[in-house]
Amino acid sequence: MNLSVATLVFVAVLGLLGVGLYALLATRNLIKVIVALQILVKGAMLALVLAGRLRNAVQEAQSLALTVIVADTIVAVIGLTLAVQIRQRLGTLDIKALTSLRR
Amino acid sequence: MREYTALIWLLMTPFLGAALTYLIGRSVARRVGDSSTVNPARWVALLSQLATGVFLYFSAQALWVSGRPFGVTIARLANDVNGILLRFDGISLLLASVVLVLTFLVTLYSVTYMQGEVGEEKYYALLMAMTGMMIGLGCTHDLFNLWVWFEGMAISSYMLVAFYHQSASLEAGIKYLVQSAVGSVFVLLGIALIFLEAGSLNLSAIHMALGSASASPVVWVAGALLLIGFGVKTALVPLHTWLPDAHSQAPSGISAMLSGVVIEAGLVAMLRSLAVLPGMAETWGYLLLGFGALNMLVGNLMALRQTQVKRLLAYSSLAHMGYMLIGFGAAFGFGSQAGAAGGFFHLMIHMLMKGLAFLGVGAFLYTLYVAKGKHGPLMIEDLSGAARRYPLAAFAVSVAVLGLGGLPPLAGFMSKWQIFVAGFATQSPWVIGLVVFAALNSVLSLGYYAPLVNRMYRQQPSALVLQGEKLSVWLALPLVLMTVLVVVLGFWPTLAAGWYETAADSLMRLLSY
Amino acid sequence: MTLILVAAMILLPWAGALFVWAAGNERPRLQNGLAVTFSVAAGICGLAMLPRAGAEVVLNFPVGGAFGDFTFVADGLGVFLAAVATVIGSLAVIFSVDYMKGEHQLGRYYAMVLFFIGAMVGLVLTSNLLLMFFFWEITALCSYALISFNNDDPKAVAGGMKALIITQLGGIGLLVGALVLYAYTGSYDIQALIANPAIVPAGVLAWMAFGGLAAAAAKSAQFPFQTWLPDAMEAPTPISALIHAATMVNAGVYLLARFYPAFHGVPGWTTAVTLVGLVTALLAALMALVANDLKRVLAYSTVSQLGYMVYAVGVGGIYASQFHLLSHSVFKALLFLSAGAVIHAVGTRDMRQMGGLGKQMPLTRAVFIIGSLALAGIPILNGFWSKELVLEAGLMHGPMWAYVGMLIGAGLTAFYTYRMVTMVFYGSPRSALHGHDAGPAMRVALIPLAFGALTTWLLAGPFSRLLSVESLPMHHIEPENTWVILEEVFSLPTLIALLVVALGLVCWWQRERLAGLGQALKGIGWAAEHSFGFEAVNRAIVGGTQKLGEALRVTQTGWLNWNVFGILAGLVVVLIVVILGGR
Repeated sequence: MNLSVATLVFVAVLGLLGVGLYALLATRNLIKVIVALQILVKGAMLALVLAGRLRNAVQEAQSLALTVIVADTIVAVIGLTLAVQIRQRLGTLDIKALTSLRR
Repeated sequence: MREYTALIWLLMTPFLGAALTYLIGRSVARRVGDSSTVNPARWVALLSQLATGVFLYFSAQALWVSGRPFGVTIARLANDVNGILLRFDGISLLLASVVLVLTFLVTLYSVTYMQGEVGEEKYYALLMAMTGMMIGLGCTHDLFNLWVWFEGMAISSYMLVAFYHQSASLEAGIKYLVQSAVGSVFVLLGIALIFLEAGSLNLSAIHMALGSASASPVVWVAGALLLIGFGVKTALVPLHTWLPDAHSQAPSGISAMLSGVVIEAGLVAMLRSLAVLPGMAETWGYLLLGFGALNMLVGNLMALRQTQVKRLLAYSSLAHMGYMLIGFGAAFGFGSQAGAAGGFFHLMIHMLMKGLAFLGVGAFLYTLYVAKGKHGPLMIEDLSGAARRYPLAAFAVSVAVLGLGGLPPLAGFMSKWQIFVAGFATQSPWVIGLVVFAALNSVLSLGYYAPLVNRMYRQQPSALVLQGEKLSVWLALPLVLMTVLVVVLGFWPTLAAGWYETAADSLMRLLSY
Repeated sequence: MTLILVAAMILLPWAGALFVWAAGNERPRLQNGLAVTFSVAAGICGLAMLPRAGAEVVLNFPVGGAFGDFTFVADGLGVFLAAVATVIGSLAVIFSVDYMKGEHQLGRYYAMVLFFIGAMVGLVLTSNLLLMFFFWEITALCSYALISFNNDDPKAVAGGMKALIITQLGGIGLLVGALVLYAYTGSYDIQALIANPAIVPAGVLAWMAFGGLAAAAAKSAQFPFQTWLPDAMEAPTPISALIHAATMVNAGVYLLARFYPAFHGVPGWTTAVTLVGLVTALLAALMALVANDLKRVLAYSTVSQLGYMVYAVGVGGIYASQFHLLSHSVFKALLFLSAGAVIHAVGTRDMRQMGGLGKQMPLTRAVFIIGSLALAGIPILNGFWSKELVLEAGLMHGPMWAYVGMLIGAGLTAFYTYRMVTMVFYGSPRSALHGHDAGPAMRVALIPLAFGALTTWLLAGPFSRLLSVESLPMHHIEPENTWVILEEVFSLPTLIALLVVALGLVCWWQRERLAGLGQALKGIGWAAEHSFGFEAVNRAIVGGTQKLGEALRVTQTGWLNWNVFGILAGLVVVLIVVILGGR
């Protein structure tokens, strides 16, 4: 195992997580929020694969990653469906406008 | 029936039921129109729940008789893949029973409540799928598999929360989805770190591989990620912000499910995964105690000034999660089996009481709003004088909220008592102080429960109550059953000991492998 | 037989509650009949139980787990209070037949009253501290439900809430006691603790003792928790008589008396109890002087008399305190019920609008005066004997300053009692109120109570045998003849006490001449009218909590970015804790 590759992947994981979390905190567009979630999940997936590679259990890690892809796609689809419906009903995707439920 | 046959069928029946429910319901809906009032989906769902109950009975028998958990390994693809161990222990039994009982009652309730809604068959199919996911979540002994069930439960609940496609429920749904998804990513990261450290995902193997020596910082971080990741679903303060929205906007049956079992399923997942990280139980224990105190305080204070009934009940769920956390915190931090028993007992009783409260309030929401084609939040003022027209529902809601407030002779008193006993038995001044704080919080919670009861027993009914529809027998039946249970368990708490003691035993075994 | 009687005293009223509730509000006659039947049956059981008191366990349900054995012991103290609860309970129910005529939701009313009677019996007969707390809280629940029986009236709702919250707050003391007992001994057995207090460490016993005092003070409306009882007067009057004069408020005194053998060795405990009793008796008597609401005057006087009982426990006079409890239950129930007859007749509780009602309702006047004389401590009514016994115990075993304080209290009692009687029944009518005398069911309840107020002091001897060593081995009460006990009263201190009482009466007659003194004491009167600032403290606490709740709602912004930030903040905090704790 080439350590430098592992380090590289590790940095990539951190980068993906950082970008995703920053986007979740900063963006006001619902579609971008869902994209940020996707970025986050990709980071987590990469971390799983990296862990498998380091423990010499690539096969298991791949099966895990496949499962994550399935689950995460469903979440993205539902999220986008909700976003579309919100756009249709409220005419906006701004999450600042989505604050009728509070207090 | 062999024990693992029963276990496999216990896990499969809900999904078979979900598929059948959808197919049959859809084909009928297509033939006779979408808002038909005779959709048989509900009966298919009920039947498959009863079938699941039969397999649960056999599994429970096997567990009670032998006293040992039993399991079956699936998905052993190749030699270097370990496969997934599904294992039926006390915690599985408790969660499966609680989930199945509440699903059954909610399905009965929905016969009237969801009648004629567009996509009724989807509702029942999703409910069944969510049930199956939660039963699976309780039975798995594999960390990644735990995440899969957890995610499956979350996905089915997203769709149920946003079931009424209105702006408020869509808003609640998307917030719930985004926050849960963030939590789920944290869980995955935690799993990756543990996989990296232990090289395995089987819970026992993780425990063995990590050894009892002081844990490495990687495991600390992994544990923190798991705690927070599952904590979003468990509604720890300050990760709770999705809960009041989702619980108040979902159809009432689903509110009952969310509050009564879904957040508790998150808690079970958290406990199971944290229990196997060796040498750190005390740290988790203190964290759970801290979150418990925060949850009680914030939940009660937020509920104090609410004007919408369902939102008030949602905040009170936060507080009750706090009580459970105190029980489990004592179990983790001080090795108190009584604490675990109290936590699990309160989990069961909270399911009954909060389920009853949401279903009872939902009955008012239905008769005063939904049945008239209106969709609005049920305000506290709307309940004025409700007892004169709906004596049964008003009584049920009173029993539920006074039980939640911890007044005897209702079951909530006994389950809180069990937690308090465990707290004092630790003889740690901090935990004793926390128990007194919890008792003070119970008093505080009466500050919003009792006025609700007073309002329902006014003489002068509100205009809405006067025009309300009749309470159907399907709405009344679950209320009666749950009211009776809450009262009976208040007088005879050890009736439920077969569940909560067994579950506590399993948790302590996990903690001290 | 004892087993059946004990079970019947609890289960008969509870079964009655179910039946009355099931009968439905459309059939008020059936509801009346059922309620009276079940409560009278329980009352008969209560009386039949009196000669059967003993120290052994009568009933035992091993529940197991963290709940212990649910045991019942029918000893003298318990049987006596159970008899009071069931007998006065049945009289209050009979009185209600007339008083509550035409009310809606009678089912809820009777169900709660009967539920209360059963719970009160359970509270005094159980020897499991968990179960005692269980019944303790049920009585609080019933009291709350009945105070705010008229839920349309915001004052009634507020009164009920206040009673519930304050008694619950104090109840935490009892909760702590029960939990501590279990944590250190593995059982909830009260008898074992009383027999040998050393089974828990001394420091822990002190927590239990003061916790018990807090719980008792909240339940019996003692200083500093006294504020809820006057507001509880929004309840229907039979409830005020039953729960807030004759039974539930005695539970605190019962608790102190029950645990006296275990707690009296705790340093400072007896002094604290004495002090609580003294302060309460004086403060409440002062407030009774200035109140104008008939029921509030009676409520303050209840608080004050309970102060006497607590004081008696503090100075070790268990017998005197319980004997005064008996007298007080009888004469205060009589006063409340006859006040109820007045209020029912004239439709107001404000004494300033009454006056001259005596001619219109002679029977009510007669029984009310009997009760008042007993309250003021005039011989030969029961209140005289028991109050003198309390003072005697205080003089012999208690500090002098406390005794003097209690004497002043006795004078004040006579003063406000006289004021109340004249304002209601004598003088010229101050407004056009038309009274009618008590109805038949009311008479059935009033006359036995009046008879009791005249005669219960004759039971002093049997009463001492009831509480003697055979059934209460640790309380060391000597069984004596009635005459021996009452002889103690004939002494110089009693004369002084009577003089003080007479002085109180004279003060009322000469009140115009004493106007100058009244001016000087105006400050006290003003403070008494504002309940010495306790109401303000209550309001500040409630208001502060509500404001905090409202302020916290801002944190639920409903803004998704903020929600995600909450998750991240949680993660950071947990990481910090884990890293600090893991090291």
